[in-house]
Amino acid sequence: MIRTVDLKKTFAGRGQIVHAVDGVSAHIKPGEVVVIIGPSGSGKSTYLRCLNGLETLTSGKIFIDGVDLSNRKTDLNLVRREVGMVFQQFNLFPHKTVLENLVLAQMTVRKRKRAEAEAKGRELLKKVGIAEKEKEFPIRLSGGQQQRVAIARALAMDPKVMLFDEPTSALDPEMVGEVLEVMQQLAREGMTMVVVTHEMGFAREVADRVLFMDHGKLVEEGTPEHFFTEPREERAKAFLKQVL
Amino acid sequence: MVNTTKNVLPWRILTLVVLLMLGAGLWVATTKIDYTWRWKRVPQYFVYHAETMTNAPADGLVADIENLGEKTRIKFISETDDELFFEIDSTTLNVSIDEDLFEGDHIGSTFEWQAGPLVIGLWNTLWISAAASVLGLIIGMITGLCRVSNNTTLRDLSAIYVELIRGTPLLVQLFIFYFFLGTVLDIDRFVAGIFALAVFAGAYVAEIIRAGIQSIPKGQMEAARSLGMNVPQAMVYIILPQAFKRTLPPLAGQFISLIKDSSLVSVIAINDLTKSGREVITSTFATFEIWFVVALLYLVMTFALSQVISLVERRLAVSD
Ligand SMILES: Nc1ncnc2c1ncn2[C@@H]1O[C@H](COP(=O)(O)OP(=O)(O)OP(=O)(O)O)[C@@H](O)[C@H]1O
Ligand SMILES: [Mg+2]
Repeated sequence: MIRTVDLKKTFAGRGQIVHAVDGVSAHIKPGEVVVIIGPSGSGKSTYLRCLNGLETLTSGKIFIDGVDLSNRKTDLNLVRREVGMVFQQFNLFPHKTVLENLVLAQMTVRKRKRAEAEAKGRELLKKVGIAEKEKEFPIRLSGGQQQRVAIARALAMDPKVMLFDEPTSALDPEMVGEVLEVMQQLAREGMTMVVVTHEMGFAREVADRVLFMDHGKLVEEGTPEHFFTEPREERAKAFLKQVL
Repeated sequence: MVNTTKNVLPWRILTLVVLLMLGAGLWVATTKIDYTWRWKRVPQYFVYHAETMTNAPADGLVADIENLGEKTRIKFISETDDELFFEIDSTTLNVSIDEDLFEGDHIGSTFEWQAGPLVIGLWNTLWISAAASVLGLIIGMITGLCRVSNNTTLRDLSAIYVELIRGTPLLVQLFIFYFFLGTVLDIDRFVAGIFALAVFAGAYVAEIIRAGIQSIPKGQMEAARSLGMNVPQAMVYIILPQAFKRTLPPLAGQFISLIKDSSLVSVIAINDLTKSGREVITSTFATFEIWFVVALLYLVMTFALSQVISLVERRLAVSD
């Protein structure tokens, strides 16, 4: 589904070069739920953003469903509509109602009729449990509700893969659960997911595989059982000691 | 905040007292100088009852007078036996039946209400400002988008334009548009004036738009792109509507400025409100009155505009 080959992304800023992603090769299979963890600044977000072309790569290759993202001729917009993304800060469109947030891209990008797009939108809102808020503006929703709308918005495009970048980090603790529950349900339905998170409980229960990143490198990968009980690498051990 | 609920009435009264005292002071000052106020002369420069005189076109005879009520119809036969009919207001009838007339004799007049120079000037100021605003908004939008574009040439060109315009006085720009471009491209003074104002406003609008676009969090563009929208779609549906809301107050200020700045076109002999005011003064000597009236008219225009815009703002505030 997703394959990255020696992916590198460097930022040049103020005279120094940051190797945000430094040669990551990974393969994510259809229906797999992969959780990426690692210390702050290790390049998790940058890696994720490369996967839907929000960052241009410095070198390496990315294949999404066989399409080569690093090829200049690839139309990124065609790829992005197949790859849903959920951000830490929700990034809902504040000038649109909840339902409109879900309808807009369906109509402009997928060229669906309004009635069809609205039906799909309502169905997804019901699925994430906020059907009654469709006419509200995002600002009137709690953080957890906003994030669930953001997930529904991404799902409305019928993506083949969903990327989550710390979807619960901006939430008050009591709202984390409701968002994780929606994600868990998605995972059960067989959605291919790449999740950057600090929620170790989620990683342990839902992930098929855990990738551990540090300093832009993929340091260790394995099943949750393996990773949380007997990690090989010293850095992974040190990290786990801190967070668990 | 207990303070906000405190009684403001005494302070309002104080404001009123201060204003009254200022007014009284002005009044006393003007009585000291030898100035006769002639407010009565002002209204006729808004509208007046214009008289059109009907005179005999040739030597001849009044053959018949037919009273039609308000109007009177006169049949006139010239020496060369041409039959002519004139219609005039009955009260102004100046001839009688069978009277011999010489060429140029006054037969009667018609009266019509006509717009005076102040109304014509007001109208010119209004449409010049409106045309320049629309044009300036278009120029400003395009330039503003160029300012945030990825293309270096577009960015440079738009930056140069903005700097040139903001770094030179509007009055000088008007002269350049009128004397230089007007001559080279052979354009009308109205066109030159409107373009100068539009190009001037456009530079400021561009900066407002740029700031508005850049004030929208980066995540909005990223969210739009991550849904598969291309840049134009993201701009049209996501960024610009939000930017527009934020730029409305500064844009309003810009267009209010434009109405006031339009008074400068009077220097290239466009009959706007200011120039009309000056012309009326040369024939009435009611200098103080006319300038006060002109100021009031500008105030009415700018106030009306700011009311309209605050109405729009309240409409757009539903998502806050
Ligand atoms: N746009 C950018 N310009 C310059 N440097 C950047 C940019 N984005 C990220 N970086 C740098 O790249 C490195 C990796 O950042 P990234 O955001 O991917 O880390 P992360 O693992 O997501 O961290 P966190 O857990 O804090 O979100 C950091 O050192 C960061 O400073
Ligand atoms: Mg991050």
